[in-house]
Amino acid sequence: MYISHNSISNLRKNFLVLFCILIFSILIGRLYYLQIIKGPSYKGIAEANRVRVIPIEAPRGVIYDRKGQIIADNKSQYNVNVIPYELKRATLADSVLSAILGINSVQINNRIKNNWRGQFIPIKIAEDVDFKVVTSIEEHRLDLPGVIYSLEPVRSFPTRVRLSQSLGYVREVAPSDLIRPEYQEYKQGDFIGWKGVERQYENILRGSRGYNFVQVDAFGREIGRLKDRNNIPPIPGNDLFLTIDLDLQIYAESLAEGYKAGIVVLDADNGEILSIVSKPDYPPELFAGVVSNSVWNELLSDSTLPMFNRATQGTYPPGSTFKMIAVLTALETKAVDREWSVRCYGQYRLGRRIFKCWEQKGHGRMNLHDAIVHSCNVYFYNLIRRLDLNEWANMGKVFKFGVETGVDIFGESAGVMPDVDFLNRKYGEHGWTDGNKLNLVIGQGDILVTPIQMARFSAALATRGKLVQPHIGLKYIERQTNQTFSFATPTDSIRSISAETWEYVENAMSDVINQGTGHAARVRKAAVYGKTGTSQNPHGEAHAWFIGHLKESNQTIAIAVLIEHGKSGGGIAAQIAGKIFNFIHQQYTMQWIAGNAPTLN
Amino acid sequence: MHQPLTKRINNFITSFSNLNGLILVIVIALCLIGMLAVYSASLNMEGSFFKKAFGRQMIWLLLGGLLTAAIYFIQKKLIYDSAYILYFIGFALLLIPYFLNTSVTGTARWIHIGSFGLQPSEFMKVLVMLTIARFLATTSYSNLDFKFVLVPTIFSVIPMLIVLRQPDLGTSIIYFGMLFPMLFWAGARVFHLFVIIAPLLSIITAFNFYSFFIWVILMLLVLYFTKEKLWISLTVMLSNLALGFTTPFLWNSLKPYQQQRILTLFNIEADPQGAGYQVLQSKIAIGSGGLFGKGIAHGTQTHLKFLPEQHTDFIFSVIGEEYGFIGSVLVLFLFLALLMLCFYIAYRQKDRFCSLCIIGVTSIIGIHIMINVAMTVGLMPVTGLPLPFISYGGSFILTCFILLGLVLNIGADKQY
Repeated sequence: MYISHNSISNLRKNFLVLFCILIFSILIGRLYYLQIIKGPSYKGIAEANRVRVIPIEAPRGVIYDRKGQIIADNKSQYNVNVIPYELKRATLADSVLSAILGINSVQINNRIKNNWRGQFIPIKIAEDVDFKVVTSIEEHRLDLPGVIYSLEPVRSFPTRVRLSQSLGYVREVAPSDLIRPEYQEYKQGDFIGWKGVERQYENILRGSRGYNFVQVDAFGREIGRLKDRNNIPPIPGNDLFLTIDLDLQIYAESLAEGYKAGIVVLDADNGEILSIVSKPDYPPELFAGVVSNSVWNELLSDSTLPMFNRATQGTYPPGSTFKMIAVLTALETKAVDREWSVRCYGQYRLGRRIFKCWEQKGHGRMNLHDAIVHSCNVYFYNLIRRLDLNEWANMGKVFKFGVETGVDIFGESAGVMPDVDFLNRKYGEHGWTDGNKLNLVIGQGDILVTPIQMARFSAALATRGKLVQPHIGLKYIERQTNQTFSFATPTDSIRSISAETWEYVENAMSDVINQGTGHAARVRKAAVYGKTGTSQNPHGEAHAWFIGHLKESNQTIAIAVLIEHGKSGGGIAAQIAGKIFNFIHQQYTMQWIAGNAPTLN
Repeated sequence: MHQPLTKRINNFITSFSNLNGLILVIVIALCLIGMLAVYSASLNMEGSFFKKAFGRQMIWLLLGGLLTAAIYFIQKKLIYDSAYILYFIGFALLLIPYFLNTSVTGTARWIHIGSFGLQPSEFMKVLVMLTIARFLATTSYSNLDFKFVLVPTIFSVIPMLIVLRQPDLGTSIIYFGMLFPMLFWAGARVFHLFVIIAPLLSIITAFNFYSFFIWVILMLLVLYFTKEKLWISLTVMLSNLALGFTTPFLWNSLKPYQQQRILTLFNIEADPQGAGYQVLQSKIAIGSGGLFGKGIAHGTQTHLKFLPEQHTDFIFSVIGEEYGFIGSVLVLFLFLALLMLCFYIAYRQKDRFCSLCIIGVTSIIGIHIMINVAMTVGLMPVTGLPLPFISYGGSFILTCFILLGLVLNIGADKQY
């Protein structure tokens, strides 16, 4: 065949050949860029493409009391999830599901829409459903394709103990917190201890989340397990033992029921908190899972402040219980003789102001001992005028008033321990008079203390100067090694106070119980010491205080009881303290009968 | 035709001892690689063996082989003589889907014969090429007037417009694209080629002020350096300017559904998960292949269906993922070798028609490869062109084998 002559120029042929080679070079260059230079990064993306990570929440550590009784446990909460694609295929599913869950299908659809992450990715539509719901979902399995339930561990509280504010609660980490460096280990949706012990011991109680790896296709449909990656099981948190005596705690809470109260019971020798009560409180179950807004608002708007830990955060004027500071100052500085006496007519005149004693008739002639026993104000008015205010304030500071005790319950107030500097700052150098001193000496005015500070003060009086660190954490058992770790708690002691002084104070406090204002705290055949207090306040009836201790053969129990608006320390506060002492003493008696306690006083 | 049988057999064998043998080896290698890739891509498909892409691909390849053999034995003269007639038959077939109204996914591309669907537009690629080659064969290299450039342009633009309306941007690009290498090979002046391509660029650039501005400056430069007669230059310049300026107004005067129809041209396959999803997944698949790839049938992106159109338009990303940089570069080298051999055969031809035919084949296959790979690696927008000898597809495979048959036929230097 020959139609016409082909006479292509060499130039044009070469141009086309070179053009081809150029384009292919660009393509090969691009492949080099994608596969060699960017290869590792694309490998990572491809991996993330096909692997779905399903987090499995770890239960938090169990919280026990000192004897190993469970205070806070974990239970499994059932959540109902749906896979939208499968649900949509079934015609009956909507109506059956809404009948079982008791929410209408519009709400179900809204929840699906709001949490949409793909056709094949499960969406949570109901939380903490009844076990009955789970069984009826199983019964209707054929009508409900794509409806699955999942288990999530939440807190449960098997006993009637409250301990609400001190235990604290867990909540979901707020997205705004996640940015901060201390939360870098947390992810969206994690729970975190937010108040009290749960927060303080977060690192111990928090478990580590497990993960299941599932292979998915482009639609998010699960294809099966990954062959090249093992699932990571969740590790539960470590078990925490508190110093709390569960039985005593329940009893103490029952005593304070109906009052606004803060009670702290300490082992005076080592600062272990046997019981800590703050009333009113709330059932800790409220915070077991996700808290609904209505519950939350109700708690926050309650005028009795159930979320407020009165034992560690509440600051109150200590009233007459604080006279012990003046007693110690007087004895140590020898500002007055022990037999120095004052006649009480029921009031004391300073310039044009009248300062009253609580006993309107007057106590008659009082020496130091009697003044403590009967809590005579007039005696202390006279006494403080002979004392240097700073020496008195220093004595208060020796017992660490005005600073936080450092108790391991998150959220604590420091209180106020006024001294000359403080008054100068507050009122100006000449703005305050001896009148302020008179108020301070009977624990009124600017001074503010917390019940836990008072409990420590009481423990120091009981142990002749051991200044313990109150603490609620006893020990924890590490989950993986099964090793027990105790929490180290530092103990200070006050050496500046002489033995005679301690002796004197102890005698006086014993007589407060046996002859004086603390009569209501008496326990038969037990060595009880104490001091009452009644502090005036502008909000209503006086607050009732009682501090004191119970001496058993091998243990000293210190207590501080505060009843807001409890009228008189010798009344309700001393009664509650007496009942608690009695309860503890009974236990010792029972132990002694059983042959476990060495001797009984 | 009156040679003894032994001589004819001898001729047949010697015809394979030259370049044809090499071409066949390359094509068979490409087909095998393609089958592995299609096998991999169709692993997760449901249905019996011959319902799956891999099984069907085998049938198509066998049919294709037979077709190649048939074309190989056809006389070149017969091809030359029937080119125009075939063109008009093909043209009629191209229109049939519009009247049959049996469109798949809203596009008028298919003619159904039994359970198989045929795309006339695929075979039309060959016919357009043959027609242009035949027309250009009557011209002479040294004196190619503008009217000799214009007629082939009309041959290609009319089917291009029909296919555009289907809508099938990829195929229309092939119709139009093969024109330029063929005209260039036939000896057309560069200025004439410029005049053909200019209106298209004027329309495309007119949608953005800056791109149009740059295009106008480019036009001025080209007109200045080609040193055409002033009135010709002015006419070209002014008509292009007019086209550019009126385009936005024309566009705005279109009804929204008409605009939509044009826009769908540039996005033929519906984008399931937002813009650029296909190209992104393709890049991830190729990139994650690395140097050596993940191995045959071990591509996770392929098997978990992250790749769209994985056995047809995006088959190259399967190769990239499973055979890595080495595998994909090997495929590109095979293609390049094929194209180079074709160029050499075309250059060697004494006959103008045969030479132009080979260049046409080279253009069709070359444009397919370049656009397909460029779009798979994210260098070009998705236009929907398959990869020759590798992608799954019926009509397209048959077309490729017809083209192969033509190359072997012409390259054989047969005596009869």
